[in-house]
This record gives sequence, C-alpha cells and structure tokens, in this order.
Amino acid sequence: MPDDALDPLIHVPTRLKIVATLAALPEGDTLSFTRLQDMIGLTPGNLIIHLRKLEEADYIASEKTRNGTVSLTNVALTGHGRKALDNYTHALRDLLGDHL
Amino acid sequence: MNHTPDTTAGNGDAFTPQQAAALLDEATWEARRKLVPNPPWVLASRGVLVLAALVAVWLSVRGEHPYTGPTDADIPILIAFIVLNAALAVGFRRRAGAGVRGPSRLRPAEIAIATLAWVAAVALLVALAAAGLSYRLYPTTVLIIPGLTWAVLMMLRKNWRGVYSGASVAVVGAVGLLASPTGAWLVGGVGLCAALLGGAALNARYQRA
Repeated sequence: MPDDALDPLIHVPTRLKIVATLAALPEGDTLSFTRLQDMIGLTPGNLIIHLRKLEEADYIASEKTRNGTVSLTNVALTGHGRKALDNYTHALRDLLGDHL
Repeated sequence: MNHTPDTTAGNGDAFTPQQAAALLDEATWEARRKLVPNPPWVLASRGVLVLAALVAVWLSVRGEHPYTGPTDADIPILIAFIVLNAALAVGFRRRAGAGVRGPSRLRPAEIAIATLAWVAAVALLVALAAAGLSYRLYPTTVLIIPGLTWAVLMMLRKNWRGVYSGASVAVVGAVGLLASPTGAWLVGGVGLCAALLGGAALNARYQRA
C-alpha cells in the first residue's frame, strides 16, 4: 500500500498530535484552546493555523464562549474526525503490518 | 519567520509511516496520561499509604485483650490521613480536568450525592455508636455506603473503571464486617491497597491501549 493512502490532512506531525490528543477525550467533551496548546507545546499562532485546516475539513469543531470580558475557545474532535483518525490508524497498520 | 513545511517530520525529511506510528502512539499515551484523573502512580502511592496507615492501627490493637480499638489519640491521625487521601484524589482530578468541559465532568448533583454518601456513612456510625455499637467494632462499615454510591453513579455513566473502584471499596467494607474487630483493620488496609493497585493497573492498561 503506498504512503498516499494516508490522509494527508492528518499525516503531518503537528496535526497528528492534535488529533491524537483530542481523540483521548471522552466523546462529547471539549478541550480549551489554552490546555490544548499547553499539551501540544505550540505557539498560539501555529496552533490556530493547524486547527483552522482541521476545522475546514470538519475534523474538529470549535466553540467560543464568553466569561466576562475573556473569550474562551474550546475544541473537540467531530465524529467525522474520529472516523478519519480510525481510517488513518488502519491505513498505518496495513502499511506497517505487525510493527504498529 | 520560518515555517517548517507541514509535510515533513520537522527535520526536512519526509514524515514516514514508521515515524507517524511512533508519534501516534506517543501522543495518545501522553494525552491519556495528562487527562486521566487518577494517574497509576498516584493510585499506587495511595494504596501503599492506606496499607501503612491501617496496618499500623492493626499492629497497635492486635495485642489488646479485651479489644478496645484505637486510642482517642489515634483518631485525629486517622482523620487527617483520610482528608489527605481525599485531597490528593480531588487535586489530581482537578488538574487532569483543567480545560476539559462536557459530559465526562462530574455534575454538581453527582458531587452532592457522593458527598451525602459520606455524610450518611458517618451518620450511620454515629447512630450505631448511640446504640452501643462503636465504629471500633465495625471500622470498615464506613466504606460501604460511599463505595456503593460511587459504583452506582459510575454505572449510570457506563464508566466501568469507576464502577470497579466504587464496588471494590464497598466489597472491602463488607468483608471487613465478617472479620473480627482487630482483623477488620487488616482487611481494610490490605483490601483498599489491593483495590487501589488494581485501579492503578487498569489505568496503566488504558493509557497503553
């Protein structure tokens, strides 16, 4: 199986980390932007760029809430995103055989 | 500002499937480690602590003839130990849950029910003491109501690791009732330690799955 069987949107180190991190949340839960940034270790600008790409593909959903004057952003993997990660993991398994 | 092309592994080389598999494993493990409310090492440490505390009580009462139970001086130490244990559990739960919102978080009603279960357990001990049955005779009784309550709350959430922890605490409480008053302290220590170590193993397995 060629490498291009891997979803190019996920097959990027930073986005793979983001998707794997969000997949560790129980279904229905969201993670704040700042906690995700802390867990991944990215600058806000860099994280926003990757989140935007994932959101455009409907892999993640984000919601903004207001707490007084502070705006909070929470992100979560969508059902579509979870399925994409599953497919990606299966494709990796097929490529690597027993090594995964 | 230099941007690393996002199709590379970060050092200019192509991001290979092997690297992707390793990164996926590592990122999943790392995320679960940070998000799990009860890290295995914390559960294991609490298990060792509870074993040490209750075995110390057992050692101090096993030579008593007739049995009178722990001295009044031991009670504040036991209470401080329970508070420390609870604070550890709550502290790590809060740290893991920082920034997380959604159905996995305990609802205020659930927190109130769990707290009431402890109040009910203490009230039961007080009532038994008023009826002439000191907690010193049935020290593990206090575990049954909170353990069962937690198991039911977790069952409603289909959180099977939570059901395990609640049920195992209730079982230790019930088995302690069958032991002698002296032996109940040992049952409590060994049983709770085994339950916490079991929980640590379950969480470690989940993190590695």
